[in-house]
Amino acid sequence: MTVALPEQATRKYDLGFARWVRDNVNGGAKMSMCMQCGMCSGSCPIGTEMDQGPRKLFMMIRAGMKDEVFNSSTIWNCTSCYNCTVRCPRGVPVTYIIQDLAAKAVEFGYVKKVENARFAKAFWWSAKTFGRTDERLMTAKYYFSFGLVEGMKRGLANLKIAIGMVRTKRMHIGMPHKIKDTKGLQAILAKAAEIDARESKGGA
Amino acid sequence: MANQGPKSQTILVVGGGIAGVTAAIEAAETGYDVILLERGPALGGRVAQLNRYFPKLCHPTCGLEINFQRIRKLKNLRVVTMASVAGVKGEKGDYTVSVSVSPRYVNANCTACGACAEATDMEVDSPFNYGLSKTKAAYLPHEHAFPMRYVVAPSAIGTPEADKIKAACKYDAVDLEDKGEDFEVNCGAVIWATGWEPYDPEKLESYNYNLSADIVSNVQMERLANHDGPTGGKIVRPSNGEPVKKVAMIQCAGSRDLNHLPYCSRICCLGSLKHAVYVREQYEDAQVDIYYIDLRAHDKLEAFYQRVAADPQVNFVKSKPASIRIDEEGRPVLCGENTITRELYEAPYDLVVLATGMKPAASEGYVPDIAMEQDEYGFLVPSVEGDGGIIPAGVASGPLDVSMSVQSATAAALKAIQAVGPKS
Ligand SMILES: Cc1cc2nc3c(=O)[nH]c(=O)nc-3n(C[C@H](O)[C@H](O)[C@H](O)COP(=O)(O)OP(=O)(O)OC[C@H]3O[C@@H](n4cnc5c(N)ncnc54)[C@H](O)[C@@H]3O)c2cc1C
Ligand code: SF4
Ligand code: SF4
Ligand code: SF4
Ligand code: SF4
Repeated sequence: MTVALPEQATRKYDLGFARWVRDNVNGGAKMSMCMQCGMCSGSCPIGTEMDQGPRKLFMMIRAGMKDEVFNSSTIWNCTSCYNCTVRCPRGVPVTYIIQDLAAKAVEFGYVKKVENARFAKAFWWSAKTFGRTDERLMTAKYYFSFGLVEGMKRGLANLKIAIGMVRTKRMHIGMPHKIKDTKGLQAILAKAAEIDARESKGGA
Repeated sequence: MANQGPKSQTILVVGGGIAGVTAAIEAAETGYDVILLERGPALGGRVAQLNRYFPKLCHPTCGLEINFQRIRKLKNLRVVTMASVAGVKGEKGDYTVSVSVSPRYVNANCTACGACAEATDMEVDSPFNYGLSKTKAAYLPHEHAFPMRYVVAPSAIGTPEADKIKAACKYDAVDLEDKGEDFEVNCGAVIWATGWEPYDPEKLESYNYNLSADIVSNVQMERLANHDGPTGGKIVRPSNGEPVKKVAMIQCAGSRDLNHLPYCSRICCLGSLKHAVYVREQYEDAQVDIYYIDLRAHDKLEAFYQRVAADPQVNFVKSKPASIRIDEEGRPVLCGENTITRELYEAPYDLVVLATGMKPAASEGYVPDIAMEQDEYGFLVPSVEGDGGIIPAGVASGPLDVSMSVQSATAAALKAIQAVGPKS
């Protein structure tokens, strides 16, 4: 007897996704050059900390696995070391693509599911507001992004470390440390956002 | 004589590899006068350094020897070794070519008796073995050299060793005053068959070629497997002479890479399959892992791939290794991502062979800028406006294997004959 047909796939594939990435993600146009060689994922210093790694992520984009791509830890664990981009034999700007996918994940509200995205958001909030990282406020923002109860839980669990950090002057209590010209910083960031909106369509 | 038609019907061939040798013989056998220039001390080019040919695994020396026999019979074919071209002027039917011959320090009296080599202790890196061994400062280019004549290394000249070398020769063949010579040739057509250079493995930074003797290039692997190579044909770890149990081949080492050679060198997949056979013939228990992006066995050579792939101890890993590090025991360790399983691997080997590609020799040195031009990779193509009097052949014209090089050489010989016209 003929073998039964496999069950229909339950996963959703968005067939227009690769094209969307090509047209809207920084460096996305060059992703079509990728030949799936594995040089990028093999060169990544934190490859073991990534669920997919850049090569597989690109394959998933081609396959239209939109949600899996945006929920992937790969886009958040990238340290922007550029190893992959420098070594890619096909000139794919891997780092740019990954960075912009992370930005797009925030824009489209995917970050709730990804821990690292919450951390990145808290980090960015601190950097943007004070011009530097305030360990205490940033950590608090990150912990409480999980909700009040979970935030308290995490805070208490790490209290010992926090006290140690205060003692060794790695963290301080009181007013947050700020750079002198936060207004100047805001202006720079606003300008950067403006340039980005103007230029970051496709191409590298 | 009326000044009509070609002024010269001589055909000049530049480069004495398998392509140049073939073109020169084919043209000469039809009766035309042919001059063959070779930059090195002997004919044969890169194939003389190969152990065996894919797919039949026959010995290159056999085919070369047949060609040398044909050359010996041809009175209208003149071979000049140590010769390269400094300039080409003129047009089809009337080229003036400036030839520059470097000193060999050994003249035609040489009987290849070898007394000069015995007389000296001085050694130089063996160019024939790609630096894997040393050779005496007075040496025969290789066992089957044509012409069968010794060479004295330029670095010996002016030292007391040179005097020892000269004193040892009973045939007055050593000429320490040799200054080479420059001369001009008038010819009607030129065949340009300057071949290729192996891509420099040192440029593949993350593969750390310099950190371990057990990382070799594929051209060195040919020498390791050859009976007249540095190990007498035994494939061993160059670092300690021990047998190899686990061997890795890295494909596209420098080819298909925008940071290196952007094109596919076309022969290195087959070369590595052949190297897997070399290893497996010598070791019943050895394992060979071939790391690849795609395996390219062109045309009918697919059958050779099938044959090698049938060996259960030859494995194929779909991955371009990211880097090679050296472990505490000094073994090379391949690091990368297996793209089928998404596993990140760190795999130690006794011997790693980098399947480096072929870079056109024409990308360095003099190339005539008339009738021919270089493509974006440095390979030579006839120029559109050109008169067709200068014809590229062999790997100078693209990444070809031996049979394709020979075909292109025969075609070039025919074009050269057409360029100089019917024999007058
Ligand atoms: C590892 C490896 C294994 C291979 N194995 C096989 C195989 O098994 N089977 C197969 O079919 N092919 C094989 N090939 C391919 C084969 O080596 C080439 O097809 C062949 O060498 C091409 O010959 P050629 O005459 O065009 O070039 P070359 O062999 O490079 O000859 C060119 C000649 O020109 C001379 N020359 C260069 N510049 C000048 C100049 N300016 N003036 C005068 N002379 C000059 C050089 O000294 C040289 O002698 C292999 C290649 C590699 C890298
Ligand atoms: S290194 Fe470049 S070509 Fe290779 S898999 Fe990564 S992105 Fe694709
Ligand atoms: S830039 Fe990011 S993805 Fe690329 S190698 Fe570095 S950490 Fe990995
Ligand atoms: S140069 Fe003289 S000594 Fe050396 S091999 Fe030739 S004939 Fe013999
Ligand atoms: S022949 Fe094979 S190893 Fe050589 S460049 Fe092409 S794909 Fe790579």
